[in-house]
Amino acid sequence: MITERKPKNIFTQGPIAPSFIADSIQKHETKTNIGGHSIFLGQVRADLINGQKVAAIEYTAYEEMALEKMHVIREDVFAKYPLVCMHVHHSLGKIAAGEICLFVFTSSAHRKAAIDACTEVVERLKAELPIWGKEIFEDESYQWKENK
Amino acid sequence: MPVQVIVFGQLTDIMGNNPVMVDNAADTSELIEQLNIRFPALVNKPYIIAVDRQIVTGHTALSGNNTVALLPPFAGG
Repeated sequence: MITERKPKNIFTQGPIAPSFIADSIQKHETKTNIGGHSIFLGQVRADLINGQKVAAIEYTAYEEMALEKMHVIREDVFAKYPLVCMHVHHSLGKIAAGEICLFVFTSSAHRKAAIDACTEVVERLKAELPIWGKEIFEDESYQWKENK
Repeated sequence: MPVQVIVFGQLTDIMGNNPVMVDNAADTSELIEQLNIRFPALVNKPYIIAVDRQIVTGHTALSGNNTVALLPPFAGG
């Protein structure tokens, strides 16, 4: 049976709470065909740049385009790997150093699909989603984040 | 017909956060030429162009109802 997936919203205003991640794991206990989960969490790093410490990153996105693109990535990854489910959450707005800004969660019957799919989603979303981050220093000056 | 231009990331430092209207741009090349005159700091900045949320390359014709977005390098995650 082919089920059509609709574009989901991935954006959350503010940081992703660890309790939200715990609840998300908890919700999978009824899905007993799952044998492995893979989770990636992105955390805002307090980089030291020219003697200035990053206090927060303010994320913005071209939301409509990002959601369309994420839908394509989701479809591709479901076609490539035998996943049971996939959840993606990305923060918008100001996220302080140490807080979680990205949560990617894939689940499958056996570990390899979940692990490989999780890695692929993280790599593709960093490369393909129109999202930007302003690194705000402790003195309120800023620079634009570049993905490595 | 005017075309609406939106920008993101570091380009908001040059063009602000509000849409910019450009008159009489038949294609994306003419549009960029006009923007470069109005916003000289835009010249040589790295970005790709999306017309109605689709990434385009080369000279893409514009109808007047399009929204053109200038997208600097992505930095999600």
